[in-house]
Amino acid sequence: MNVKKNFLKGIFEENQLFVALLGLCPALAITTTLENAIGMGMAVFFVLVFANIIVSLIMSNDKLAELVRPVRIPVFIVVIATLVTIVEMVMHAFLIDLYNSLGVFIPLIVVNCMILGRAEAFAAKNKPFDSLIDGAGMAVGYALGIMILGFFREVLGKGTLTIWGSLQVDFGFVFDFLGIEPLELFTSPVGAFMVLGFILAAVVAIAQHRKNKQASSKDVK
Amino acid sequence: MEDLIALAFTAFVVENIILTQFLGICPFIGVSTKRSSAVGMGSAVIFVMLISSTVTWVLYQHVLVTLNIEYMRTIMFILVIASLVQMVEIFLKKVSPPLYKALGIYLPLITTNCAILGLALININEGHSFVETVVYASFIGLGFFFVMYIFSMMREKINRAPVPKAFQGAPIALVVAAILAMIFSRFGGIV
Amino acid sequence: MNKRMTSGIVLLVLGLLCGILLAGVNAMTAPVIQERQLEKVNDTLEGFYDMSQYDVEIVDIKGDTIETAYVLDGKDSGTLDAVVYEASAYGYQSDVVLLIAINQDRTIHDYAVVSENETEGLGSDAVTHDFNLAGSSIDDLSEFDGIAGATITSDAVLACFEAVQDRVDEELGG
Repeated sequence: MNVKKNFLKGIFEENQLFVALLGLCPALAITTTLENAIGMGMAVFFVLVFANIIVSLIMSNDKLAELVRPVRIPVFIVVIATLVTIVEMVMHAFLIDLYNSLGVFIPLIVVNCMILGRAEAFAAKNKPFDSLIDGAGMAVGYALGIMILGFFREVLGKGTLTIWGSLQVDFGFVFDFLGIEPLELFTSPVGAFMVLGFILAAVVAIAQHRKNKQASSKDVK
Repeated sequence: MEDLIALAFTAFVVENIILTQFLGICPFIGVSTKRSSAVGMGSAVIFVMLISSTVTWVLYQHVLVTLNIEYMRTIMFILVIASLVQMVEIFLKKVSPPLYKALGIYLPLITTNCAILGLALININEGHSFVETVVYASFIGLGFFFVMYIFSMMREKINRAPVPKAFQGAPIALVVAAILAMIFSRFGGIV
Repeated sequence: MNKRMTSGIVLLVLGLLCGILLAGVNAMTAPVIQERQLEKVNDTLEGFYDMSQYDVEIVDIKGDTIETAYVLDGKDSGTLDAVVYEASAYGYQSDVVLLIAINQDRTIHDYAVVSENETEGLGSDAVTHDFNLAGSSIDDLSEFDGIAGATITSDAVLACFEAVQDRVDEELGG
């Protein structure tokens, strides 16, 4: 399998957030700042990549696969939940601020349909290395997705952009120049739904535009 | 008693699980296109939420805390929820076939509904007592049902409206949800 | 072998493996978490006592109201000198968190509201408000002076003191 294609499909045509509409809950809840989105992206990356590798290792061994097959969904869930708990503990110990602001959404990575979905649809049927690439691609695609959301919500809602800790860009001067205040609405639930709705519409519009272009270029030929 | 009423109201609208806590968004967007499916999903969630919250609360307080292995809670909760959903499915199939027919297809979906696991964890994090857990879980479930129902009615209308091409389907649903969230965010002032 | 049995055993073995793995990770992270926890309240504790004189032992209580106790042993004497309780109760819209320091002779040494999110102006005065309890015995809370106009927040604070009253025997003896 083409490694590059396998990786890129998770970012573009099979993007789990914008195309498959999976993992919406954390995407809406924790994207009040870019920093949270980056943190969540990293957590999901870790869990997804390792879950894919472990599931694929189990399922590519014929004897193990036979044992596991009748109970594979519970087995996958236990593997994912273990990884999530490890992430939770490590974050609690070393990234306490991020741990506090992501709150209940760290353990909830367990029920992010995206991770179980990839385990069942890809990792269970493919080799460990391909599964690793697939997981990495999907996770990067998802992380980029929530980072776009976080970017818009933080800039519009707070007038700042927090990249990591105290590394922060202040866009206050732009708002001063325009003579308006940052709209707090964007950091509230209302803004979350609104921004995601508009981004999805933009994604659909771009996809459609590209399709039309391809179609018309074929006509010319 | 007064506290419990306040808690119930808070759970129902102020801390509405979908619109302010962002849990259960997948079914909210995915299964709300028709009123009948919203009712089915909503009822199944009320049912499972109440049972799973009470069971996980008891197990956490009396097994995990006693054994000092609180860090196993995520694994245990998700397994409890998955097996509860299975049991409810088998039970309903035997006891009430019509109810099973109505809720059956929504039950398997519930295992990965983050509202269920989320609520179980919130009850623990907030330090709710047993009675509080029961009240909170019931009204969170009712709040879920309520919002699903309203939203499905709106979506039935939207489906017949001339929506710009790019906004058809999920995007317009999210924008409508934003307006609904705007209304619900104002309830915070009441309590 | 019976198929169902095999499945059950597979799940059980996997559960055990994961349990052991998590226990290992927990053993590594738990001390760090505890250290951070102490760091967080350390400034407040410094306000109560000269912390360089004491060894601190963290006791996880996990009660409804009291979550943690910091037991202060004198470095020279080795005897228990004071206990600081971290208590929280639900106030108007959020948890009010208090640190309450009790001396060995059961007097309230000092207290501080360390976190609250109550309504601006009314309940939020709790951080600076003097509840008139410093110096009195933990067994007698009659001097408690709530905040006018913020009954619910005051009740939450009082509930914290009452919980400490019930608990204090465990650490200081009856």
